[in-house]
Amino acid sequence: MKPVKLQVRDLEKRFPGGRRGGDILALRGIDLHVDAGEFVSLVGTSGCGKSTLLRIVAGLEQPSSGTVRVDGERVLGPGPDRGMVFQGYSLFPWLTVEGNIEFGLHLAGVDRRARGERVAELLAIMGLTDHAKRLPRELSGGMRQRVAIARALAPEPDLLLLDEPFGALDAQTRLAMHEFLRQVWQRTGATIMFVTHDVEEAVYLSQRIYVMHAMPGRIVEELRLSPSLVGGPEIKRTPQFLDLRDELHELLLGAVRAS
Amino acid sequence: MLLSALGLAGVLGIWLWTASRGGETGLVPTPMETWRALQTQWTDGTLWSDFTASSTRIAYGYVISMAIGIVLGVLIGSMRSVESVFEAPIGLMRYVPATALTPLLLLWFGIDETPKVLLIVIGTVFFNVLMVADVARTVPREQLEAAYTLGAPRRTVLSRVVLRHSLPGIIDVARINLASGWLMLVVAELLAAQDGLAFRIVRAQRFRQVDTMFALLVVFGVIGVASDLGLRKIRDLSSPWARP
Repeated sequence: MKPVKLQVRDLEKRFPGGRRGGDILALRGIDLHVDAGEFVSLVGTSGCGKSTLLRIVAGLEQPSSGTVRVDGERVLGPGPDRGMVFQGYSLFPWLTVEGNIEFGLHLAGVDRRARGERVAELLAIMGLTDHAKRLPRELSGGMRQRVAIARALAPEPDLLLLDEPFGALDAQTRLAMHEFLRQVWQRTGATIMFVTHDVEEAVYLSQRIYVMHAMPGRIVEELRLSPSLVGGPEIKRTPQFLDLRDELHELLLGAVRAS
Repeated sequence: MLLSALGLAGVLGIWLWTASRGGETGLVPTPMETWRALQTQWTDGTLWSDFTASSTRIAYGYVISMAIGIVLGVLIGSMRSVESVFEAPIGLMRYVPATALTPLLLLWFGIDETPKVLLIVIGTVFFNVLMVADVARTVPREQLEAAYTLGAPRRTVLSRVVLRHSLPGIIDVARINLASGWLMLVVAELLAAQDGLAFRIVRAQRFRQVDTMFALLVVFGVIGVASDLGLRKIRDLSSPWARP
């Protein structure tokens, strides 16, 4: 049994601005956990609060009640122990690929030599070694997201949070990025929490999936994938994979019908 | 390139034409006369001393104005609390014509350099603050949040993300509002000064030296174009990533 990395308890999030001056209940009764080294996805239709939940885990937003703990420590704000990858526009456009990856290491006070080694290592993992001196604007969408992942991984976070990181990419690039993220996960042993509305993506990448419904945002189902479903692209044609994908589709459709 | 050359030739053509029509009145000098007046002023040293006097005033006034503009603008643009305190009063004061303050400034501070520099500051600072604030607001939220999740405290986010991202925009603000800076300078020098380019124009008027007046107008134009091009160059060199 692996140790629990992330623990979310009875989390609730309200936003002002509901009808008649009331609040909007964005998240209610959220309980979830992610084990060390695990790849867990949050799947739901838009508006179900999955991104809000991830942002609360990142510390970018505060919960109205409930707690978030990483390694037993209560999360009170953003910090380098939780790396985050956004959907787009998050790279610093004035810094090169190298400079972006180095940003967090600078902040952590890592000395020049160690920084250089860590950056070189990440560049190699990400297949970006030849592009180290380029600016983000000179890169394709897929490469930019690889840099963003490398930057988030650089300070060796306990937890890697990905907020629909491939949502803006075309279908082919997206498939390539799936293989790539799988490799990164296996090579670094990172603990990953992945937010998406793409059912196939979630089933293909995750070990476990939390399914969310909207109004109020809540977890309605937890799917545990059998280890045999973790593999290369050929998995996608097995009956097991297809069944699970259809089941997940049904669960999300239920949410749409209900609303 | 060709079109701008054509435009310049057009302006020169109109000038020549008016000069030839109004030549006898002595109120419109020809380009040649203007050039000679410019040479005279250069050789006797007044042009250089007027130029340094005026540019020193601009330098002091505009550097102060930009410094306030950058600090306050970046804070207003990135912190809601600072925005609520400052935005309304600055928005209001912007509508008080700075030139209308000139007599008051002269009364308070005499006729030395202080009121001139102050007028340049007052005439440009509100625009600089508000425009820099607008620039600072354009920093994508994802970049700020990425910095926070990488462990940056707020001060670091301000200096290393907001300020850095805003730099080309800030240089553009400086470039655009510099023209108002010169406008304020001219007002100040027209009313009370012993040297400076605009002072020299008033003086030339007293002696009906139209060629000298024209020469100085050309100097103003050249300074404007040169500083505009220079600031564009600095912007592009400092932030090649922001070039369109």
